[in-house]
Amino acid sequence: MKEQTSIPISKVERSVKFVTTGAKVGVNYLKHYSRKLVNPETSKDQLNEDNASDIYQALSQLKGSALKIAQMLSMDKNILPKAYAEQFSQAQYSAPPLSGPLIIRTFTKHFGKTPEKIYDSFKLKSTHAASIGQVHQATLNGKKLAVKIQYPGVGDSISSDLKMVKPFAFRLLGMSEAELNIYIKEVEEKLLEETDYELEIKRSIFFSKACKQLGNIVFPKYYPELSGKRIITMDWIEGMHLREYLRTNPSQAERNRIGQALWDFYNFQQHELRQVHADPHPGNFLITPDGNLGIIDFGCIKELPENFYYPFFAFITNPFEDREKTISYFKQLEMIFDDDSPKMVEFYYQNYREMIGLFARPYVQGEFDFSKPGYFNELFVLGEKVTKMKEFKQARGVKHFIYVNRTNFGLYNILNELGAKVRTDTFKPHLLQATEVLNE
Amino acid sequence: MAQREKIKAAYIDYVLSNNEQPKSVYAFAKSLKLKEEEFYQHFNSFEAIEVGIWSDLIHQSAEKVKAQEVYAEYSTRERILAFFFTLTEEMKAQRSFITYSIKHAGKGFTTPKVLEKAKAGFETFISDELNYGIEQSEIIERKFISRKYKDALWLQFAFIVNFWINDNSEGFEKTDEAIEKGINVTLDLMSRGPIDNLLEYGKFLAQHGKEKINFGAWRSHSGN
Repeated sequence: MKEQTSIPISKVERSVKFVTTGAKVGVNYLKHYSRKLVNPETSKDQLNEDNASDIYQALSQLKGSALKIAQMLSMDKNILPKAYAEQFSQAQYSAPPLSGPLIIRTFTKHFGKTPEKIYDSFKLKSTHAASIGQVHQATLNGKKLAVKIQYPGVGDSISSDLKMVKPFAFRLLGMSEAELNIYIKEVEEKLLEETDYELEIKRSIFFSKACKQLGNIVFPKYYPELSGKRIITMDWIEGMHLREYLRTNPSQAERNRIGQALWDFYNFQQHELRQVHADPHPGNFLITPDGNLGIIDFGCIKELPENFYYPFFAFITNPFEDREKTISYFKQLEMIFDDDSPKMVEFYYQNYREMIGLFARPYVQGEFDFSKPGYFNELFVLGEKVTKMKEFKQARGVKHFIYVNRTNFGLYNILNELGAKVRTDTFKPHLLQATEVLNE
Repeated sequence: MAQREKIKAAYIDYVLSNNEQPKSVYAFAKSLKLKEEEFYQHFNSFEAIEVGIWSDLIHQSAEKVKAQEVYAEYSTRERILAFFFTLTEEMKAQRSFITYSIKHAGKGFTTPKVLEKAKAGFETFISDELNYGIEQSEIIERKFISRKYKDALWLQFAFIVNFWINDNSEGFEKTDEAIEKGINVTLDLMSRGPIDNLLEYGKFLAQHGKEKINFGAWRSHSGN
């Protein structure tokens, strides 16, 4: 891996980065239209690919929150055209590391000691990047450890980054500012939480205890005494990333086992803990040599409040039997507004029904084969259709949707890549029996 | 040596409390219960104290970096980065004095007097490290320009000290970023890059181009 030689840090430089990217995207459009003049058959694929690669280059140089956004966008393969998604997927893996002296500096600042005084051994060259930090290998008392170190100044730059991403995202996703604002705020909150390593270690310990009884899942042991604001120490988990693992041609039974472990992990959290690891990108999982699923990052947790959980998951177990009740749920979730005209109510009712019905399909069927491309094409086609509808260019849906959708679609995508068939009725959504009775 | 440190500390205390130099060496020495000549054994003027503080700062930082276990494994880039990180750590203990000293040094394009000795020490350290880098082919030697490498790093020193003085971030984190970024860019310019390759290509063409690729000859054969 090549060491990163410069990180644009000041607001001005970050702005410049985005401006040049914006200009490049503009040029790509020009190229596209001139190509189109010559050859009317030209598809938008080339344009999208050009754009995505320019955007990715800019984002990966910005590191930190911008990289996080790249990672997030790439999760929503169904919203973004394929070329964008492909380029953004690159961001899910490594970004270049920081210098050795700065790492030592971080340790002396937080522990008053250099890493070699804290651990028996410490590798100054990082093994991989973790978007707002990087991971080093260390040993202590014969144990192999993973030490995650956060880049300095990440927290500060998040807000200003997001401000700059905003206009850029409007263009990219074709959304209005009003629509993005509530979501950007939610994203900002989550991103800031992710810079809080003290919170992350608390959560990591909580989740690894709470999910301990689930099968085929392993968590690293965490060491709070060797962790702090900028550093997290945990056991090193041996294993392969998803794509490496798939290259070893695992059997269908093995794939299913990993897939089931993933499904159970996510749905146990959603339905039993009501808070969920909301960062299902392939870099956060390892497949261990004995075929278990290792989970290594609890930076991003989404809590599901009751007023979101019950109406949302009611659709999934019991889709749309009752039109009136469904509409009242849609209203609770701000997908339909009180002042919508009857025609609009009907429009959104139909379209949301279609979307949620499609989303809920794996849940409803009890067992689902994620390897079949048919279902994902349906999602993709619907996503394309919806992004083109002007009715969906305005703010609809409570903010909780972003991370819940990201989590579930992320999960679906990974299961699809795995080609796994899983039982989807292991942890079922809970229904709010009491309120239902009250309402009727 | 203890006396030297005592004079330094008392001087710092005086200028920070009064925002100016003591009236005379005599009065200052007297307040320390020292003979004037004892003062002159260590410093020949008040300015010399400031000069000494700065130069000690550079010297101590360089020594600390060299004493680190990882130093031997470090590349030139990492050694220089480590030097600046250590320097800002050392400066922390004397932040008020450094702020005072820089503010009173006056603005200009030349190196302030109080920093002259520090600069010499800095250049000694940096030159050694740059030579090491050239030996290891981390840094490329360029005619006329390589002599200026240390000046570029001295500019970084001035920039970083000023940045640090104005840095309000927690634990001077922004300064860490400024160091990481600035030193990396400076060292990048000293490594082999596209310009070197371009120059070499130009040289190659100048030497061989005429014989091998003679556009004029082509033209004359085409019958024009």
